[in-house]
Amino acid sequence: MDISLLNVIKLLLALLAIIVLLVLNSVVMVWLERKAAGFVQRRPGPYVVGPHGLLQTVADSVKLLAKQIVLPGSSDRLLFLSAPVLAMFPMFLIFLVIPYGPWLTGLEVNLGLLLILAFTGLETLAVIAGGWASNNKYSLIGAARCVSQSVAYEIPLILALLALAFMCGSLDLTVITEAQSGWVWRWNIFRQPLAFFIFVITCFGETNRAPFDLPEGESELTGGYHTEYSGMGFALFFMAEYTSMMLVSFLAAVLFFGGSNGPFINGFWWTFLKMGLFMTFMIWVRWTFPRVRFDQLLNINWKWLLPLGLLNLWVTAVVLKLF
Amino acid sequence: MKAQEIFDTWRKMGALLLCRHDFRKSGLSFSAFFAPDMVSEAARGLFEAGWFLEDLSAMPVKEGLLVTYHYAAARQPGRLAVRALAERGRLTSIAGVYQGAEWHEREAADFFGLEFIGNPNPVPLLLPHDFPDPPPLLKAEKDLAAMRDLGLFGQAREILDPAWAARLGALEKGEGAA
Amino acid sequence: MSNLFVNPFHFSTISENPADMLGDFYSLNFEKGRVDPDSMILNLGPQHPSTHGVLRILAELHGEYVLRAEPVLGYLHRMHDFMGQVKTPYQFLPNTGRVDYLHPVAWNWAYCGALERLAGLEVPERAEYLRIICCELNRIASHVMWWGAFVMDLGGFTPILYAFEEREKINDLLQIVTGSRLTMNSMRFGGMGADLDDRFLQKAADFIPYMRERLKMYDRLVTGNVIFRRRLEGVGPLDEEICRRYGATGPVLRGAGVAYDVRRAEPYGLYDRFDFEIPVAESPDCLGRYLVRLREIEESLKIVEQALARIPAGPYKHPKAPKVSWKPPAGEAYFAVEGGRGKIGIHVVSDGGKSNYRLKLRAPGFSNLSLFAEAARGTLLADALAILGSLDLVIPEVDR
Repeated sequence: MDISLLNVIKLLLALLAIIVLLVLNSVVMVWLERKAAGFVQRRPGPYVVGPHGLLQTVADSVKLLAKQIVLPGSSDRLLFLSAPVLAMFPMFLIFLVIPYGPWLTGLEVNLGLLLILAFTGLETLAVIAGGWASNNKYSLIGAARCVSQSVAYEIPLILALLALAFMCGSLDLTVITEAQSGWVWRWNIFRQPLAFFIFVITCFGETNRAPFDLPEGESELTGGYHTEYSGMGFALFFMAEYTSMMLVSFLAAVLFFGGSNGPFINGFWWTFLKMGLFMTFMIWVRWTFPRVRFDQLLNINWKWLLPLGLLNLWVTAVVLKLF
Repeated sequence: MKAQEIFDTWRKMGALLLCRHDFRKSGLSFSAFFAPDMVSEAARGLFEAGWFLEDLSAMPVKEGLLVTYHYAAARQPGRLAVRALAERGRLTSIAGVYQGAEWHEREAADFFGLEFIGNPNPVPLLLPHDFPDPPPLLKAEKDLAAMRDLGLFGQAREILDPAWAARLGALEKGEGAA
Repeated sequence: MSNLFVNPFHFSTISENPADMLGDFYSLNFEKGRVDPDSMILNLGPQHPSTHGVLRILAELHGEYVLRAEPVLGYLHRMHDFMGQVKTPYQFLPNTGRVDYLHPVAWNWAYCGALERLAGLEVPERAEYLRIICCELNRIASHVMWWGAFVMDLGGFTPILYAFEEREKINDLLQIVTGSRLTMNSMRFGGMGADLDDRFLQKAADFIPYMRERLKMYDRLVTGNVIFRRRLEGVGPLDEEICRRYGATGPVLRGAGVAYDVRRAEPYGLYDRFDFEIPVAESPDCLGRYLVRLREIEESLKIVEQALARIPAGPYKHPKAPKVSWKPPAGEAYFAVEGGRGKIGIHVVSDGGKSNYRLKLRAPGFSNLSLFAEAARGTLLADALAILGSLDLVIPEVDR
């Protein structure tokens, strides 16, 4: 990639668009989540601010912005304040490399998948920093859980995605999307069902969503790593959660559901539609299942997903070599 | 073990006073007064017989602080009451036999200033640790009633300790006349 | 005014004084018994999502394992014993509904029953039926709320809102008889405070098949869930022996396989005329206690069904029931009823005066919670909270 003025402008524009997308996503998702929860629980959900409570999130954002940020006693100021920022900012870079449509990509790199996996690891770092700096025992336990959870989940995730990369012969997301073009059964979900199964489970672990929301686990740890955060600190962690949800949903759309390839006219709308559906699925799961226990969560990973991922990789490799 | 059998063992154990009650009128089958250092032995006997401690109900009476342990059993009907008058506000703890008694004793200690010797964790339970004296459920001298006026002795009594004859004296005489 | 425009870049620090972090009386007392120098002492509550109210638990943790735990009580202590000794029996009656806000009718009954036993009062048959109907409906509401709250402890949010639907329906019913929806105070010495009407009979009859359908839904939604099962199976086994050492009763004891129910063990009211079973669990773990409570809802529905079919006509209060200025005779009485959480006992002693000489409330939750310290030892933090949830605690009752 050559560094020309045009490219720089394009990059800046893409970043700007991504920031808008992430903020919009959080606003819409908070509303959608509350509405979906309301639907599942047979109640209307937010209903007062705006039509069907549409402006509720806006009101909440204003509230969070205006709130005082309280620093707990003897906390590490620098770490405490930088943790939420650290949770949010790597996300912007990740979204640069996602191919939303045939021509709609912020930055085309041939190692896109690797970049995404590398940067998602940073969120764990933010949670550790926040949990440690809070000088709160609940936060500390939450942070410790987050570390063991991400270590446990990232390995099966990488194994599952590696099988895809084997099959498509590239780590470039655009190439992976193109490999799925044509008919619906060319989507990776049909060609790699086991990898998809592993991917879905690890998604919930990666995003700290129920039933794997142990770093937060409010019935045990009140708020987990963000117990001590208020105002914008909390809001940023919250946004990071929805952003990582969107990220895995985009990944699911691009890697397994053919990205911008649809049954009919191809285009970025398919990516967004699939992303939205996957996110709704995640919301549905959250409001349906109870939380697993911590040792069970680790057992699922180390005893089931890891061997399954290895098996999947091995079978893929053998099949590719033979045919 | 049935309530009646336990009642019979109490006689041998050195109870001071044995009372039979009408269950329909008082909710008790039998009760017995023991010396304060005997309650844990009585508790052990009940524990081995398969009974559990329902609660510990203390009350100030003219004669001192009366502590009543209520026992029931999952497989036997009836309710047994073991009573003791705390000497100078002290009793032996039965938390070694019934671990659940620890809390009941701490509660009684909060409310009446009782001291249970041998309680594993003798800190206030329900009241704040800096609650000012006197304990809230103690009564003024003029409000105290004698045990015989409270009808604690049931229908039929066996006095095994001569000191209790005096405590029941007026009552027995009254009944004897009737 | 100034609060509206808080500078978001102004950071305030709550406390930097290390003396504030040394712990209070109870945590210092707890720390004396530290078993591991490398452990962490965690203070759960009194404001904690899983302690339902204001229970406080001090726990010594080694990683995720609980080495030692100790409940700290008293944050909701209101000294009902004392109020019972300064108020007249009638004045104290509303207090009983406030002891356990989930099953107030049983506490009403225990107190009325104790004084009726003390004074030898009779209760008309219709009033006995009314008491049973109210008490059992209230028991269903209590168990249903527990069901929702327990699943919430395990991280499932939705069931509690379903539980509230049923609770609302029951409250609508109980409101007709008792006049209130939470701290019910419907009983009087020698009867009830009000009678029921045809509207109640109709609505109650409609409720029973509805609730049976809902119970099936509960099973499909929660009981069969694999995550839920794995969280409960084999967790927190409480056998008969530990229940006996701590005096645990109710579903906890029945969860240990002992068919002990005050309604059968020392029959009160007219329960001996009713056909119902005492469910016991096959395994003494959290799942056993869970299933016992769900089956108890079915049994309570059976009792209500029978009571509605057989309720006789007649007065709802004895014509010679005591007046407000009533002084009970001197004497002593103990009366026990089966509450949603276990054996409720009231020990009342009277010297013939205006108010009770001594009133002692035996709360089932108090004894049930006392075994938590032993049950939680060596479990994972999440399991300890599952055990706590399976004990079905109502803190106002524990603290009284």
